[in-house]
Amino acid sequence: MAAGVTDMTSITSRKERSVSATLAAATCALLGTTAAAPVDAQEEPKWDFNTSLLYYGEDESRVQDMSLKSIIRRLFADDRTLTLGLTVDGLTGATPSGAIRQDVPQSFTRPSGSGSYVVPAGELPLDDTFKDTRVAITAGWQQPAGEKGLLSVGFSASKEYDYLHTGVNASYAHDFNNRNTTISAGFAFASDSIEPVGGAPIPFTNMLDVGDTSNRVGDQDKDVLDVVFGVSQVISKNLLVQANYSFSQSDGYLNNPYKVLSMVDSVSGDTLTRTPGIEGGPSGIFLFESRPDERTQHSVYTQAKYFMNGKVLDASYRYMTDDWEIDSHTLDVRYRWPIGDSSYIEPHVRYYTQTEAEFYRLSLVDDSLVPLPQFASSDYRLGNFDAITAGLKYGWKTRNDNDMSIRVEWYTQSGTVPAGQLIGNQASRDNYPDLNALIVQFSYRFSR
Amino acid sequence: MGSPCEVLTDGGDKQLAGRLSSLVASEAWRIEDKFSRYLDGNVIQRINTAHGEPVEVDAETGNLLDFAATLFDISGGSFDITSGVLRAVWTFDGSDNIPAQDDIDKVLGRVGWQRVTWADSQLTMQPGMEVDLGGIGKEYAVDRCTALARSAANVPVMINFGGDLAVTSPPVSRQSWKVGIEGPNVDSAEKLVDLRQGALATSGDARRFLLRNGVRYSHILDPRTGWSVPDAPASITVAADTCTQAGMMSTLAMLRGAAAEEFLAAQELLHWCRR
Amino acid sequence: MGVQPWEREILAREDMQLTTDPLEAATDDHIYFSKEASSGGRGFGGGGCGCN
Repeated sequence: MAAGVTDMTSITSRKERSVSATLAAATCALLGTTAAAPVDAQEEPKWDFNTSLLYYGEDESRVQDMSLKSIIRRLFADDRTLTLGLTVDGLTGATPSGAIRQDVPQSFTRPSGSGSYVVPAGELPLDDTFKDTRVAITAGWQQPAGEKGLLSVGFSASKEYDYLHTGVNASYAHDFNNRNTTISAGFAFASDSIEPVGGAPIPFTNMLDVGDTSNRVGDQDKDVLDVVFGVSQVISKNLLVQANYSFSQSDGYLNNPYKVLSMVDSVSGDTLTRTPGIEGGPSGIFLFESRPDERTQHSVYTQAKYFMNGKVLDASYRYMTDDWEIDSHTLDVRYRWPIGDSSYIEPHVRYYTQTEAEFYRLSLVDDSLVPLPQFASSDYRLGNFDAITAGLKYGWKTRNDNDMSIRVEWYTQSGTVPAGQLIGNQASRDNYPDLNALIVQFSYRFSR
Repeated sequence: MGSPCEVLTDGGDKQLAGRLSSLVASEAWRIEDKFSRYLDGNVIQRINTAHGEPVEVDAETGNLLDFAATLFDISGGSFDITSGVLRAVWTFDGSDNIPAQDDIDKVLGRVGWQRVTWADSQLTMQPGMEVDLGGIGKEYAVDRCTALARSAANVPVMINFGGDLAVTSPPVSRQSWKVGIEGPNVDSAEKLVDLRQGALATSGDARRFLLRNGVRYSHILDPRTGWSVPDAPASITVAADTCTQAGMMSTLAMLRGAAAEEFLAAQELLHWCRR
Repeated sequence: MGVQPWEREILAREDMQLTTDPLEAATDDHIYFSKEASSGGRGFGGGGCGCN
């Protein structure tokens, strides 16, 4: 029976298909043409799903992050778009505490205040209690405003164990000059609250023995206002350039509540020692860092996209300067090289360099004649360093026209402490925590 | 054409736009004047008032009649340009005014392409019969105008006569022409179609129907029975190489009634069927 | 400077958009925000985390 049914169906569809062929021939005769160009139409997808899985891993068992990111886009009539984003990060590993290496073992109180750990002689002090899950959501709405305008509004929020972020943003872009020029303006405002494990330490107070929370205060907060003005310009059929100016103002608690500085002897440069309490505690004098409670950044970003015979060069440069006296330069170059019709490889190189913050200190000196500076931090991210990213991405279209890509990148930072800050024995030690990380990201994108 | 007509160009200047629209408008009017059954003195009226005498027609009319004859064959007699006289008994005004079988039978004797003699550029019909090319004319006009636009303009052009449309080539300022297919809400496009090459045509008019005892009678009439085709979809849109093919496919599918989707699926053409 | 509307075939390509891969851009913004003192520039900062 089943075979009979199948036969019937194929006879029917053969017959029905002949309707198409006869109609096509009759239409050619009617219009007096040879066969018309074949129809090329498809229903516009309403949904766009973009998902990626990221592994970020630093060597020497420092930070490891597995991150799942999704962007879902819903297209509505009249070019209106809703975009929803979700990111889940699982972070583990150790991060430099800010204290310097010593020739003897050092002990530290954990940020929670409920225990201590020991760093072997000669090793960089890392706080290995770093473990967190981060969930972030974003929502954005975009719609035309008039014939040449595009309005976007958005909301973002994220939650970690010790951090809560909420933000809003809005921007407007306007096309001019036959749509060859687009100018845009936007702002983003974030209101974040920091709820450090064990409470926020009062800046420049000592790391205390286990169980002593007398220098801890409650939750802190900070506000960040970003303003961006941009212009993009079509230069020719295959060249597009963009330039942005951004301004960012941060106010409030800008310290890292887990970072300390070693208090050292003004001659030997070695950390001053103390006797830990009975329950355990620091073996040296470590002061919690102190940063200004505001920061103003300015940056200029330029980008060019250039198409040459199927290959696309994407180059960008950014200059940033701020009132912490950090200046940075970033150069980023990607080159997309098609392989056949449905795949490409894309080498990527990025070079970054920054000068240290005006209050960056490797350590603090115990000298009754020299008062403590107003601010100090030994956070390596505020130091003087260069970073290089080198990577390769391979992207391809699947049989059902979905996009997949995988990229592998290496990120390496190497920094130097200004020679004038090195005291005594510090000159012979490796003071800057260099960083090497591997980034692997797999992305999948499909539309419905 | 009884509907708004537009010519869209992707690029080009005001001068080109003016030249194209007058070219397209004059071709559309020419076709309308020549084949409308509402106008006096044209070839359709000559045929419909011949009272059984043979009528000699020109080549273009002959091509359209040949085409209609082919459609009659491949549709098993359900597509018939002589079915217009059934309008004398069917008025689709949303009422419950279903004609009686007697009235239908009286008209049915004057319906049927098989009763027509069409050979050697001569058409001979029984007195009282009428032909109506309205079911082909608009799509034919779109294709004719598209061909004219293709040779007259060096930029991509879309010709749209009340939703039946065709393009000369893919646009250049973006990936594709974007066409909205109306849903039950006329104000918003329910589906968006990316059209790079070819044509789209829609059959169906959800506002024209009769309703009695909960049964909906669509305005699609089967010339073989004289009755409204049962279970016809509210509208069918088809994408095809030419507007004529798209329009005829959607009409043929309409005539299948409940089997419309099955028919369309077998054609392997992109289509949207709304019930 | 600039092109006519019908000369935009290349500029309309997906790989010629300023942000080709939004997910990758967001990932990079986040990584570099947490490892360097500068952030943003392309668009908004990429902040909203306690990692800096």
